[in-house]
Amino acid sequence: MATDTTTDAPPEARVDIEAPPRRRKRGSWRATSGLLATPMIWLIVFFVAPVVMVGLYSVGALTLLRLDDYLSLEHWQFFLASDTYLGLFWKSVRMSLGVSITAVLLAYPVAYLLALIAGTRKYTLLLVIIVPFLTSYLLRVLAWRVILNPQGVFQSFLRSIDVLGPEQQLDWMYNSTFAIYLVLSYVWVPFVALPIFVSLESLDHHMLEASSDLGASRLRTFWTVTLPLSLPGVAAGFIFVFIPTIGEYVTPQLVGGPDGFMFGSAITSAFTAGLDWQFGSAMAMFLIFAVAVLLAVFGRFLNVRSVAE
Amino acid sequence: MTETGVAISIDRVRKSFGDVHAVDGISLDIAEGEFITLLGPSGCGKTTTMRMIAGFEEPDDGTILLRGTDVVGVPPNKREVNMCFQQYALFPHMDVEKNIEYGLKLKKVPKGDRQKIVGEMLEIVGLAGMQARKPNQLSGGQQQRVALARALVNQPAALLLDEPLGALDVKLRKAMQLELKRIQHELNTTFVYVTHDQDEALSMSDRIAVMNQGVIEQLGAPREVYEQPATPFVADFVGVLNAMDVRVDEVAGEDLVMKVSDRDRIVVPVGPAGIDAGIGSSLLVAVRPERVELIVGEPTTNSGSRLSGTVRQVVYLGTLTQFYVDTAIGKRLIVHRLSDDRSSAVSEGDEVVLTWARDDAAVLSGVS
Amino acid sequence: MNVAVSNNGRRWLWGTFWLLVVFLYAPLAILLIFSFNDREFVSFPWEGFTLRWYRTFLDNPAILSSLRTSLEVASITAVATTVLAIPASIALVRRRFVGKGLVSGMMLAPLVIPLVVLGIALLILFNAIGIPFSPITISIGHIVIALPFAILTLAPRLERIPAALEEASRDLGAGWLTTFRQITFPLMAPAIFSAFLLSFVISFDEIVIASFIAGKEVTFPVYLYSQLRLPRQLPQVIAVAVVILLVSAVVVITAELLRRVTDRRLEAATTAQEEEVATA
Repeated sequence: MATDTTTDAPPEARVDIEAPPRRRKRGSWRATSGLLATPMIWLIVFFVAPVVMVGLYSVGALTLLRLDDYLSLEHWQFFLASDTYLGLFWKSVRMSLGVSITAVLLAYPVAYLLALIAGTRKYTLLLVIIVPFLTSYLLRVLAWRVILNPQGVFQSFLRSIDVLGPEQQLDWMYNSTFAIYLVLSYVWVPFVALPIFVSLESLDHHMLEASSDLGASRLRTFWTVTLPLSLPGVAAGFIFVFIPTIGEYVTPQLVGGPDGFMFGSAITSAFTAGLDWQFGSAMAMFLIFAVAVLLAVFGRFLNVRSVAE
Repeated sequence: MTETGVAISIDRVRKSFGDVHAVDGISLDIAEGEFITLLGPSGCGKTTTMRMIAGFEEPDDGTILLRGTDVVGVPPNKREVNMCFQQYALFPHMDVEKNIEYGLKLKKVPKGDRQKIVGEMLEIVGLAGMQARKPNQLSGGQQQRVALARALVNQPAALLLDEPLGALDVKLRKAMQLELKRIQHELNTTFVYVTHDQDEALSMSDRIAVMNQGVIEQLGAPREVYEQPATPFVADFVGVLNAMDVRVDEVAGEDLVMKVSDRDRIVVPVGPAGIDAGIGSSLLVAVRPERVELIVGEPTTNSGSRLSGTVRQVVYLGTLTQFYVDTAIGKRLIVHRLSDDRSSAVSEGDEVVLTWARDDAAVLSGVS
Repeated sequence: MNVAVSNNGRRWLWGTFWLLVVFLYAPLAILLIFSFNDREFVSFPWEGFTLRWYRTFLDNPAILSSLRTSLEVASITAVATTVLAIPASIALVRRRFVGKGLVSGMMLAPLVIPLVVLGIALLILFNAIGIPFSPITISIGHIVIALPFAILTLAPRLERIPAALEEASRDLGAGWLTTFRQITFPLMAPAIFSAFLLSFVISFDEIVIASFIAGKEVTFPVYLYSQLRLPRQLPQVIAVAVVILLVSAVVVITAELLRRVTDRRLEAATTAQEEEVATA
């Protein structure tokens, strides 16, 4: 029988054990939820819930300290009307922007070199760049403190070779905005190099050849092909520096002196010095919203995988 | 087929992934000891069907019986079938022996027995003495054999093979086809074989199920599928062929005849397709290129189909020579002939006559 | 002709590269060198080689206790994070389920939360439910921030292990637990090791969360931070810093090299199965 597809075989010829369709899905669903349960519960209890609590606490839907206000928008109103605190927020934003841009500018040529020119050694050389990032953050900042401070390695060296007089010091070098930018850029450069490297490395070399084949100069190829195609990596690197830096207060405090009082410092001191927790919570929530807005705008560039490799 | 002789029975099985109906109502009985091939292009549902038999996917609807027991909802480790994976899926961190005895160990077969069985199995697949090799020290063909041994060592009710030869080169593939057939014969195990390669399907199978878009288009012995394709898809997929629109001018006993000219005609059997084709109806008729005789001068026989034409192009394909012939029905037909003195005498521009026997023509469908 | 760069450009880029390397390593080198300077201040002039800062920190109970606390916190964090990250990445890589985007978004969200916010959030949580601060509470916070890093270490490796290997194991009669023990775990082991180390390092180095929810026992970064204002302590603090720096550098490099070697081996093993070597 050439055309027998058996699709139409009489059903009564078979032992029909009708299984309810649900039974089939349940096993797989149970396995998946079994795998996800613990990590998800962990994050809900110790990540999502606490952040929600900060929000509730900032409007007094939850109170902890004796002086806390019950159900009040006062802290939000005060914060949003305060030039000082909003000013600190914008100061932090400016700092993040400056640091992210500096880090990208420093990292790009190196990522370009490693991804497109360095050849087989590229992964080893990339590791050379990355290793400092994987060592202690605080110790790297400490190193700069040791170098930059007026009695520190650099200025004492200048004094020992008489470039600087015994009583002279370079004020711009320490407890300054310069120091903050320098140290934070130093901290983040290796991390920014990663996603840029990944995006450049995945470029099709033939495409560059095609571009030059069509008569484009190297510079033109760079502007019209390479740079646009590496922008996702640049954006990812940028945003991954920008976000943690907005809330940053440790480094600015350690090398920035009075200039280093940031939005993050204001939040911290509301909790440590001022005991004004609700106000601090309002500022923290504001910071979260700012980050959420940033992610909504730039989120599509954040292929997290590009950083993972 | 009696109920006891059925290894696997698939009944009205459906499976969707989101909006895609991967398998759309398939029923199929596979006999014990049978070598059955699911043949079709990628995305036709053949692999999904196999994975449902193995238990890696559960059907949305329908039943799968394994030796008479419903296995829907039974996890793969509790099913009496074993699978040979496309890329072999040998455990890279285990040597050949550990790979093969994996299933036996899980069944708590004692160590001494395990070693003996593994040795025998390696003998059967032609890898005696290779126990200590790691998979990456083996060639592709050897890995294939290890995968086979690993799956067969549990004496499954059926062995499922998912494009097992896809990664091998042509020469090795041919050799492994014979080898698989031999092993299947030797162990008398039911083989369910998934491939998109029609040659493989034709040369190895007892039966072929040609699949397309989630349904079985045709089920039959290789010869049937090849020579009497049930649908245009089967005809097209299973091999090169010449399809022609034929208008029936005459019904002569068992023959449907289209008169093209005084001498040229196309004759189609009434029988196999079972199509109710009277005078004036149109049919899509196909004939295999190698079934067509190419004659310079007049044919000796006068039965079957006959079309005169002009050779447009001759393509030498090694053993075969391929001729493109413009025929009297206005359709260019392809003819395969052995490359011999007779065929090399034909050149482009020659006037020829094409003939084929009545039963070599397959009716693909009634057009109207 | 190289289309990516001219000869001058190449020279310029290599120059930039080595400048950056100097920029990245010089501060660390200076820290190392001056930890041996026999002077109360970390500065010029060089007054001779000494190991006394290394000896004094070994006699400083506050430093040692903060190091112990940090080790404890980091160990708990590393173990718990790895244990949570393994099933999470298996689910994300291997399973199909509704809301996967949402779940993976949530798993990775701690990457983008400002630590100061998480710090006060946990401070408020633990205050609200009345849990006293201890090394455990610090670990709880560190697990949250280390989890996405661990998942991002495990998931790519898992993706490179063909799912067919696990299916083959299931097919041959192994349950899911046996399959994990016999197949998945051994093949994932190097990545699990990396995830463990990474979580450990993240926790050991973390200061913001730790400073909000530390009890009486502070971690080393918190202690270090508090000591930075006291110049007299600086030389011995730097000596500890150097030790930690060297240890962490060695650990990180070893882990990375190990990961590459084993990755390559896995790659070789799985691609050898794909490419045909016609020698049978």
